[in-house]
Amino acid sequence: MASPTPTDTAAHDTSQIPAPEGSITVTVRVLRFNPEFDDEPHWESYDVPALPTDRVLNLLINIKSYVDGTLSFRRSCAHGICGSDAMQINGVNRLACKVLIKDLLAKGNKRTTISVAPIKGLPQMKDLYVDMEPFFEAFKAVKPYLIAYGNEPTHERIQSQADRERFDDTTKCILCACCTTSCPVFWSDGSYFGPAAIVNAHRFIFDSRDEGSEERLDILNDTEGVWRCRTTFNCTDACPRGIQVTKAIQEVKQALLFKRV
Amino acid sequence: MTEVERHSYDVLVIGAGGAGLRAAIEAREQGLRTAVICKSLFGKAHTVMAEGGCAAAMGNVNSGDNWQVHFRDTMRGGKFLNNWRMAELHAKEAPDRVWELETYGALFDRTGDGRISQRNFGGHEYPRLAHVGDRTGLELIRTMQQKVVSLQQEDYRDLGDYDARLKVFSECTVTQLLNDDSGAISGAFAYWRESGRFVQFDAPAVVLATGGIGKSFSVTSNSWEYTGDGHALAMRAGAKLINMEFVQFHPTGMVWPPSVKGILVTEGVRGDGGVLKNANGERFMFNYIPDVFKGYYADNPEEADRWYSDPNNNRRTPDLLPRDEVARAINTEVKEGRGSPHGGVYLDIASRLSDEEIERRLPSMHHQFKELADVDITSEAMEVGPTCHYVMGGVAVDPDTGAADGVPGLFAAGECAGGMHGSNRLGGNSLSDLLVFGRRAGAGAAEYLSSLTERPTANQTQVDEAARAAVEPFGAGETYENPYTLQSDLQRLMNDLVGIIRTEGEMSEALTKLRDLAERARHVGIEGNRQYNPGWHLALDLSNMLLVSECVARAALRRTESRGGHTRDDFPKMDAEWRHTLLECTLDGESVTVTPGEQVPMRADLLELFELTELEKYYTEPELVEHPARSGAQREEGAP
Repeated sequence: MASPTPTDTAAHDTSQIPAPEGSITVTVRVLRFNPEFDDEPHWESYDVPALPTDRVLNLLINIKSYVDGTLSFRRSCAHGICGSDAMQINGVNRLACKVLIKDLLAKGNKRTTISVAPIKGLPQMKDLYVDMEPFFEAFKAVKPYLIAYGNEPTHERIQSQADRERFDDTTKCILCACCTTSCPVFWSDGSYFGPAAIVNAHRFIFDSRDEGSEERLDILNDTEGVWRCRTTFNCTDACPRGIQVTKAIQEVKQALLFKRV
Repeated sequence: MTEVERHSYDVLVIGAGGAGLRAAIEAREQGLRTAVICKSLFGKAHTVMAEGGCAAAMGNVNSGDNWQVHFRDTMRGGKFLNNWRMAELHAKEAPDRVWELETYGALFDRTGDGRISQRNFGGHEYPRLAHVGDRTGLELIRTMQQKVVSLQQEDYRDLGDYDARLKVFSECTVTQLLNDDSGAISGAFAYWRESGRFVQFDAPAVVLATGGIGKSFSVTSNSWEYTGDGHALAMRAGAKLINMEFVQFHPTGMVWPPSVKGILVTEGVRGDGGVLKNANGERFMFNYIPDVFKGYYADNPEEADRWYSDPNNNRRTPDLLPRDEVARAINTEVKEGRGSPHGGVYLDIASRLSDEEIERRLPSMHHQFKELADVDITSEAMEVGPTCHYVMGGVAVDPDTGAADGVPGLFAAGECAGGMHGSNRLGGNSLSDLLVFGRRAGAGAAEYLSSLTERPTANQTQVDEAARAAVEPFGAGETYENPYTLQSDLQRLMNDLVGIIRTEGEMSEALTKLRDLAERARHVGIEGNRQYNPGWHLALDLSNMLLVSECVARAALRRTESRGGHTRDDFPKMDAEWRHTLLECTLDGESVTVTPGEQVPMRADLLELFELTELEKYYTEPELVEHPARSGAQREEGAP
């Protein structure tokens, strides 16, 4: 790899990337960082061919495959279920596998520029990789598992369709961290549990089978808990699964205020 | 000598999908110090992509269901090539595993009386798939991830250390299994993806749960992790792979736009009423009911439609034939010019269910098409076509314990183990496979450990050699091969020459080309250093992909018949002589050897579960002399 350049540059040779019929050229800016060489992250630009139906992930994979094999980012399932490729795309948290180029195209004949940076509030380790450990620590802190006492049933526990529906929304979480890393409170103070952890507590607090609500509510009543939420709705906007995150946080607050679920 | 981080455990589980996590939970609950190693972040495993559900004969929706019916369906789906003991254990234990998962806290859709609901799926006689909308795999992984967290918090309470008995090493890749001089497993050699630093695990038992091989094909529903790691690791450690010629092409993958080609469209769409149509609007599946399934499926649309509401008096729709049949049918329709504009066929749910029902029952599919293809499935048909989805082949194991044949201390479960699904897996039988055999492999490892008098020790030369091999791609010199180019060449080759329809000529060509690729792979080079270097990671994965691809091509060339996930244009018929033959791939130095082996004959009481007339379609005459209907010793139905 050419040694990283300090300025935003488009000097990369991208001619090896196949340009299918109907493709246009877009500029992808990536906030790159290699801790072995760089003191600070820096932008690098790549002019790459793109189809309107391509996703940002496709362009990143092409850059990695044909221009710079060291470009690092996470991805697994590549269609929005595993939640590995959360990143800031043009400043907002999105999954790269779910953002289509046609939705990012510049108006008129102007060249489209797409900026890609790591999600905010977690340590950048290399390029788009961040250290997810603090995020998962918060997840674990809310006891994200069913707590039930008494004898285990031999078959399933009975749960009515209505009871099951009650917490459906928060079970859709894919732990991608889009919500937590869009939260201004989390940015300024990483000790806040963050929306994702609260969503994962919500799923058990409102599960009719669970008997651990009080323990969990105690945890969320803590100084790092739900009361830090400033209801900015960033989390709801960021959620790629469409979970009503802010609403879930409000429901937890109400459960605390009125001591009932 | 390279500096190597070192850890010691009782059991090492490689892979953190459904099988790996269930194995790890079992080993930990039996009191063993257990480590789980996974290439991705914890909780992101390929299992999350399973949509339709988990097959288990609980009988919640149709009380006619029981393990015998599930067993029969599974054997039929696999065209009787399945390891019948695995199919038996699977059918018997799947309900317990689902109920157990529910007690861990898993969410399930419910019946009117609050029990776990079950949906129809291809090849299953009754509604059998426990499910959560169309995100069942995600829930299965999340539930076991939560279970792991709860066990770790329990250990913290009791022992003051979260990782005392169960630790997850995520974003860590195993490159080689280690063994002692006798060949017994002594651990594994790995590297951290983040730092590129090496790790040596000392452990007398290793459970492989690494999933499949689909990334060797260009059109696939599989994620990047599916590079056949477990298959290759096992082979290099002396294990044998069976059934590698059987690769499942899921009939319904997205075909357009190109960027999402291959992404799965759940069989649940058909289970919930969706039907396949060609460009002329014909429901073509009625023309593709094979002889062995005639009589089990409706031969006209009217009866097929009645079946959804009255399954006891009508036969099921052929849209729900096993996957191999549907994939071949779609392939033929497209080849004969009745395909959709982008080379698939139509899957229509829009005209079959109300908009609200579609959004409620298939929310992920609704989003997926809306977001990725700009298609609203509540008003338009989807375009779909076959996509490489699953490998039936894998490590030959003992059915009861998951112990790999010939390598003491090695176990395998889930997709990387072979036998359970025969020549073709039924949808829904994978999630249940992971739970049943994940648990059994964990227990098998525990049992093995208790039988050991001393632990096998690592061989330092082997560790040094593993370290040397791992950094080889960095020393490729001035001109070298780009690993990504090699990978895409391999994917195209496998897709075009060893894909859904095979011929001797194409497979021989594939083997020649695979040899060329293997030669090029010796000169793979990479840029940069060892910190989070995806080019390096791929260079190492490539050797696994190449080895496993060769197994697929060699076994496929050898099997001169068509069965399940192996279709030969030059040998289009199923041949009863091949039913009892398993092709075993072993590694001899650097070359793959394929040896025919005999299938163990099915136990008489299981054989009796089938009508003689059905068995005659699959079995040779001499194999059936023991059947009670033939030997005259007919017993009453239901008697043991």
